[in-house]
Amino acid sequence: MIDPTQEDSPRLSAVACAVVAITATYVYFLLFAEFALVELALPLAEGRLRWLLGALGVGGVTGSLLAARSFRFERYTRSVANGFRACGVAAVVALLAKTWFMMMVAALSVGLSLGWLTVILVSGLRGVLGGRRLGLWAGLGTGSAYAFCNLPLVFNASPANQTVVAAVAAGIGALAANGLSLTAAPRAERADFQPPIPACWIVAFLALVWLDSAAFYIIQHTEPLRSATWQGAWVLGGNAVTHLVAAVIAGIAIDRGFNARVVGLAFAFLTGAALWLGDGTARTTGVEVLYTAGVSLYSTALVAYPAQGGRPRLSAALFAVAGWGGSALGIGLAQDLHHIPVWFCGAAGLAFAVALGWRQRHLRRLGPAALGVLLCGGLLDSEIRASDDAVIAFGRQTYIAEGCLHCHSQYLRPRVESDVTRWGPAPSLAAQLQGRPPLLGNRRLGPDLSQVGNRRSAEWNRLHLIDPRSVSPGSRMPSYAHLFADGDRRGDALVAYLASLGRDSLASRVAHAAAWVPQASAHASAGEERDLTRGRSRFAQLCAPCHGDAGRGDGALTARLAQRPPDLVQRPWRHLPDGLNAPERELHLARLIKFGLPGTAMAGREYLPDEDVVSLARFVAALQAAGTPRS
Amino acid sequence: MPTHPFTAPSAACTALTEVGRSTSRHAFAWLAIANAVGLLMALLLAWPGLNDLLAPLTYGRWTSVHLNGQLYGWCTVPLVGVVLRVFLDARHPHAARHGNIGLAAWSLALAAGSLSWLAGHSSGKLFMEWTGWMRPALPAAMLVLWTILAAHAWWRRPLRASAALTGRTLLAGSALAAILVVPVVFFWAAGSTVYPAVNPDSGGATGAALLGSTLGILTLYGALPVLLGRPRRAAGGWARAYGPRLYVAALVASWLLYAGLRHGAVSHHRLAPQAALGTLLVWIPLTWLHFEAYVWPMAVRRWLISAFICWTLLVVDGWLTFLPGFSEALKFTHGLVAHAHLAMAGFITAVNHVVLRCLSLSTGPDEAPIRAAGGAVRSMATPGFALWHAGLVLHFIALIGLFTVERSDASALFLGSAEVEGWLWLRAASGGVLLAASVIWLRNAFRP
Repeated sequence: MIDPTQEDSPRLSAVACAVVAITATYVYFLLFAEFALVELALPLAEGRLRWLLGALGVGGVTGSLLAARSFRFERYTRSVANGFRACGVAAVVALLAKTWFMMMVAALSVGLSLGWLTVILVSGLRGVLGGRRLGLWAGLGTGSAYAFCNLPLVFNASPANQTVVAAVAAGIGALAANGLSLTAAPRAERADFQPPIPACWIVAFLALVWLDSAAFYIIQHTEPLRSATWQGAWVLGGNAVTHLVAAVIAGIAIDRGFNARVVGLAFAFLTGAALWLGDGTARTTGVEVLYTAGVSLYSTALVAYPAQGGRPRLSAALFAVAGWGGSALGIGLAQDLHHIPVWFCGAAGLAFAVALGWRQRHLRRLGPAALGVLLCGGLLDSEIRASDDAVIAFGRQTYIAEGCLHCHSQYLRPRVESDVTRWGPAPSLAAQLQGRPPLLGNRRLGPDLSQVGNRRSAEWNRLHLIDPRSVSPGSRMPSYAHLFADGDRRGDALVAYLASLGRDSLASRVAHAAAWVPQASAHASAGEERDLTRGRSRFAQLCAPCHGDAGRGDGALTARLAQRPPDLVQRPWRHLPDGLNAPERELHLARLIKFGLPGTAMAGREYLPDEDVVSLARFVAALQAAGTPRS
Repeated sequence: MPTHPFTAPSAACTALTEVGRSTSRHAFAWLAIANAVGLLMALLLAWPGLNDLLAPLTYGRWTSVHLNGQLYGWCTVPLVGVVLRVFLDARHPHAARHGNIGLAAWSLALAAGSLSWLAGHSSGKLFMEWTGWMRPALPAAMLVLWTILAAHAWWRRPLRASAALTGRTLLAGSALAAILVVPVVFFWAAGSTVYPAVNPDSGGATGAALLGSTLGILTLYGALPVLLGRPRRAAGGWARAYGPRLYVAALVASWLLYAGLRHGAVSHHRLAPQAALGTLLVWIPLTWLHFEAYVWPMAVRRWLISAFICWTLLVVDGWLTFLPGFSEALKFTHGLVAHAHLAMAGFITAVNHVVLRCLSLSTGPDEAPIRAAGGAVRSMATPGFALWHAGLVLHFIALIGLFTVERSDASALFLGSAEVEGWLWLRAASGGVLLAASVIWLRNAFRP
């Protein structure tokens, strides 16, 4: 029986065993539970990966709660050793699993054993290491694990080999557990561990793990970020050193009573990294340093804080809510949004500030609200966007998110001729109400988009979204270039969604265009010269960006188009049949100008008055006539 | 001594007045916020390059904040104040605090919703954009409010011991039950699979839906004089004596008419919805007669007159807007925005001022010195009144100007022209004027 008042210095062998045990636990978690297990499961997953992660999480929470219930200081050494053994067995099961069922069993076992082990190990550490340098040893163990996992040989190993390494680590941990002799009071009686303060710490750690998991997922799944963060021996070596140094410094600071400052700094680092990643761009310089240092700082605190308390229930609550819950929420957020929103960082910051400001009563009262904001964010970000065509569905979601429907309708009035001619054909009411919800809109600050896929190519839409006024001078549409930044798939999804609108009505559109004739009044313009002037003005505004001022196909946008626009001065024109007389040529040209060429970047100008269309046709025809001698 | 369930004892008016003032602060704050966002949107239209500076918070995201801020903030908060006034037991020592909690819950939900829309989380349903984790936010605020109302109704219960008041008690209970339905229906209606019937020839609301929503407003606003505890005017003519009765009778008849209409996807080219909406014209004199039958503080009479002018214009142009030919010309254009502007900035704003002034008056609803109190408020509000109406008219002119341009040449709107530029900048300027007026009102609301 341990005397609670006893505070002997721990034996060196016990310290070494404790550090090894912490290292082994973290190695198992980082290398296998967080990474290799998922990679092993991928070939069997068939889109069911969330179930696997769910099983892992459920197992982890259950294991944590079981450990808290059955924890006894008298059985500490044996319980830790058993935890390691169970972890090792679970890793072997995962390695041998050939079916999805077995993989799910393995995930559940990994969660159960790891949940058990972490709570048991941490809850008795103070009894082994004493209170004076607990932070340092926790930091050394944590930093060593991160450093080991960043060794190029380990980091770049196959998932199977990493699983073997994790199993071996579990074996070493089981051996080290035998040296964990209790020499000090197992629990500290400090204000930090009196309710409601532990709850505040749990909120703070929840915010940290949430951010870390989301950032980790994004880095892992964004090629430029992944290569910048984890590619190359020098980068990995730098990470290893950063991890180790940051963890040890964190441990020393924690021993001096700076727990809150350490996690505060970790939060600042992680938020900085998250915001850096937040817009999806690949501006990575410095992100890896912020990220690795932040991770090590809070990971050390995540061990040291419950270890200082020596309270199994607190440890279980911390690891269940902040550890397993935070991981699941962070991964869910990253999977669904592919970036970390600024508002989320703000909410996490609020929760964090409130949690660590518990000494001020008014701040304490805000705690539940802040936690609510975070959890609500989690619910949002855990939404699964299911669709037969995920990209188009995501594009539709982007259309809604950016508020496109406030300027663009998606409804064609069948009795309104201008609607049908400009944006048609008009589908049936049932077809127009098919979406969930229908995006009919009530304004047209821009054209109707219900059939935009049949009249605008993906290339044009992309250019237009990025730089609206370059392809549509005078447009009031905002630029959505930020949706096309590296790592951000919203822009391409939006283009895919627009392409899907009206993709089945192309034949009808082409037929309508072929039958269209300008109003008679459009031909009766007052004088040829005035007509050409009007056409020249419209050409300079609408056509010159692609075709060039002189119609030579050398406009400013030429370099950004997949296919160079034709030289309008030269013969022959590919899209104009031979053997037409002058009025027929003019009519064909007018149709091309009004309706464009489907499938190419040549967009129609459906909204122009017929007079303008005819003037443009006459000007283009004159352009060619003037150029003919040169050709 | 039992009291009227819809009025409070004048001795305990302080708490109700305090809640009324809080209502004004919340309402004017939302008006100022929504108008500030509206001004920003007008600037973004006039100067599209500004979007690049604000990306990803571009025009579309702000629009949700503007529209919902106007609807759930400025339009609705005064009505929240009214139900608080009706149900709060003013003798309760924490009545004012409870009222403030209800208002704060509402504003908090709307603020959270605004942040979510700015963050790009929207359902895609206009005016029903609450989605995902924000979908239950406003219903939750409504439930908080309902809990407060129910608790106070319960506390007032012993006062209603007499048999004569049993009916009123039942009325209060029925009202509470009806209010409880609102959050449930709201949550359901916000779902992505729920969508109202669509007029197949316009893509907009059907005649039945337009009639129903207008009758809903008439029912709600028609009850305002009673809910605000306005005393009836002394006999002075047939109209004053029978105005409210006529109003109720016409309301019943109109709801019966509404019930008899087809509620599916009916075109505005059909005669039935055209005629049904045409019956709204009778509400121009009826509303005047109804409101004239009550005594109003001097300060709100100018707002009542403004409301009636806007109401008259709205009913007439609303009906015309629905008719074939007019509908085709106006739908999706600035012309329809002008109609909405007249409704929100004109009619609703004027009614809200009437409500807020009545809620904030420190005298009891049945007491005499109402003119004096009203006079004080009037002198305080004059610059705001003038500014607001100047902005209202200018904005209306700008919208009609844009409508005429886009009617004659849609490309002028899509591709820009000097004329369009001019109207857009006028619109922005008028938005600035409207914002200035709302800031004045907000500042006044915070004055002791």
